[in-house]
Amino acid sequence: MSLTLLLQNILNGLSIGSIYAIFALGYTLVFSILGIINFAHGAVFTLGAYFTYFLMGGATGFNGLLANAKLPIALPFWVAMLVSGVFSGLVGIAIERLAFRPLRQRGADPLLTVVSSLGVALVIVNVIQYLVGAENYTFPAQTFGNLPPAVNFGTADNPIPIRTVQIVIFLVSVVVLAVLTYLINATKYGKAMRAVAEDPTTSSLLGIDTDRFIVLTFFVSSFLASIAGSLVGSSVSIAGPYFGIGFGLKGLAVIVLGGLGSIPGAVVGGLVIGLVEAFVPGEFSAYKDAVAFGLLFLTLLWRPRGLMGRKVIQKV
Amino acid sequence: MNRAIAPICSLLLLLASCSSQSPSSKPGTSDASPSSSTTDALPIGVALAQTSNLALLGQESVNGAKIAEQFFRDRVKASGVPVRLVFQDAGGEEASAINAFQTLITKDKVIGIVGPSSSQQAFSADPIADRAKVPVIGPTNTAKGVPEIGPFIARVASPVTVLAPNSLQAALKLNPGINRVAVFYAQNDAFSQSETGIFQQAIKDKGLEIITIQKFQTTDTDFQTQAIAAINLKPDLMVISSLASDGANLVRQLRELGYKGLIVAGNGLNTPNIFPVCGVFCDGVLIAQAYSPEYASAMNKSFREAYTRQYKQDPPQFSAQGFTAVQVFVEALQALNQKSSVKNLSLAELRKALNDQILKGRYDTPLGEISFTSEGEVVQKQFYVAQIQVNSDGKSGRFALLK
Repeated sequence: MSLTLLLQNILNGLSIGSIYAIFALGYTLVFSILGIINFAHGAVFTLGAYFTYFLMGGATGFNGLLANAKLPIALPFWVAMLVSGVFSGLVGIAIERLAFRPLRQRGADPLLTVVSSLGVALVIVNVIQYLVGAENYTFPAQTFGNLPPAVNFGTADNPIPIRTVQIVIFLVSVVVLAVLTYLINATKYGKAMRAVAEDPTTSSLLGIDTDRFIVLTFFVSSFLASIAGSLVGSSVSIAGPYFGIGFGLKGLAVIVLGGLGSIPGAVVGGLVIGLVEAFVPGEFSAYKDAVAFGLLFLTLLWRPRGLMGRKVIQKV
Repeated sequence: MNRAIAPICSLLLLLASCSSQSPSSKPGTSDASPSSSTTDALPIGVALAQTSNLALLGQESVNGAKIAEQFFRDRVKASGVPVRLVFQDAGGEEASAINAFQTLITKDKVIGIVGPSSSQQAFSADPIADRAKVPVIGPTNTAKGVPEIGPFIARVASPVTVLAPNSLQAALKLNPGINRVAVFYAQNDAFSQSETGIFQQAIKDKGLEIITIQKFQTTDTDFQTQAIAAINLKPDLMVISSLASDGANLVRQLRELGYKGLIVAGNGLNTPNIFPVCGVFCDGVLIAQAYSPEYASAMNKSFREAYTRQYKQDPPQFSAQGFTAVQVFVEALQALNQKSSVKNLSLAELRKALNDQILKGRYDTPLGEISFTSEGEVVQKQFYVAQIQVNSDGKSGRFALLK
């Protein structure tokens, strides 16, 4: 493999992997607190991308109930992405209220929550299609201002072009991960969230409002999914209401590889899978998922708790 | 939601219909309480993808079929046999297409079916209709072997063998210096596989060199590995066989990564739906077409006006083909009725007679004049090569006919 291709693959892998990491962090946050997987996470990822598109002044296509409609505003990408994150966070809170809390309060089996979150995912995806059709939606060409479409990391004779959007995605992901790490490790809210994750009953006895922090976790989780969806949408367009489903499955692989409930594990897992996928030759792109899940399988044989998962001590 | 509810509804409706009907019932009499206006109209099934990643293609055909329903309802109102369309979502999988076909055949008792959306689905669902002796017209199934599935299977989508070489010829006319060609295709799609075979043969026939063949999946979104591998070999021309979304993303990434040469795209990209994906990067792409909105004929003018009035844009090829498939059914039915009243025929007799009539007829459609071979293959006279011209807004454009 030439140095050019090697560098390109590494940069591509970091870019894809950082998106996986942000997305998987959302899964991890909910899992660490409730011990269950929120299968609606992929649908919120999709929803976030659509919110951003419409907040940027994008119009709907000619299919769906809202055909040929658009908002009277056109926010810059960065603002639209953050506002979309807030909207998606509110949707996340609604999901918690509708699909998780009623079952949790009745002491239902966690498996039932998995099914109810899957139901929410199907509803969201189909409502999107009903409202705005199955068309592709792409953010405007000048999403990132007047930046060139690609940056050459090589020379004029031996170019190593990398799409600007990939570089932006990587940098934004690093910033998001840094902010999230700070929030979780260095703030009162973060400490409370970790306490609830560690032991909800004890933290409740110590005066922490557990339900409030569960709601906050869903908000942050959905905010992250929305950011990831918006970034992917800016890179490859929104490929219809179903485009978050693949990410949903990949996100699962990432958190299991990194270690269920481990925040650093989600980041490491995302980057590892992103890099491994980038090195799968194009003609074998059909096997990217097989490679990712094969790696997961081998890792679990070696470390059943994932790369950075903690051993759970069963207390009697 | 649709996917979850559809099988349950289908089961309930099937149970309901089993309890109240005999196998020899007349067409379209299965509804529990049909309105008087619909009981007289003969049902034609439309089994196209309205959900899944094929919905992009399927919705366009559905739109064309809906225009046709309104258009011919007005035309046959005075004299003739009225028809109505019964829509079933064929989804994106083979199984969902089979379900849609079975529901249309057994529950809705349609006289014929327009569908499915992809060739991949056609190879699974068409044999079911063929065994039930229900005529099927594939609006967008272009892969090799579709009409050969059985005597009741026909299509209005011209096979890629006819279309592909035209666009290569146009590329050579624009740049006679072309020699090195990079080929891309979606390896998980029957249509794209079939089309790339034709393209590759046409490239060799013209004495050009294929320097690389890059494969991908229709579900892929990141094509940088393939794009960079091809660009590094410095090709003069790139030829892409894919569906709309993946192909448009590939075009965009090829341009973003610095490829400046000509691109020939297959029939899967012959839709305005690619403009939102590749935007300004679509500009200059050459596409062979089985339909052009600019084709001058009275029928195409009427269709184009009706479509533009409804959807505020020029009709894409898949809509024209959806319209044409319904048109063939309607006109064949009217022709049959002129010979002897179709109301005297049982459903099985009508399906058989309709199939025979479809294959005999000639039709003046938005695609131009078409007829069928005895196997059900479409015989189409007009083909076009267009070059994409993106408008200044970067989000819309047109397929400008190359003379």
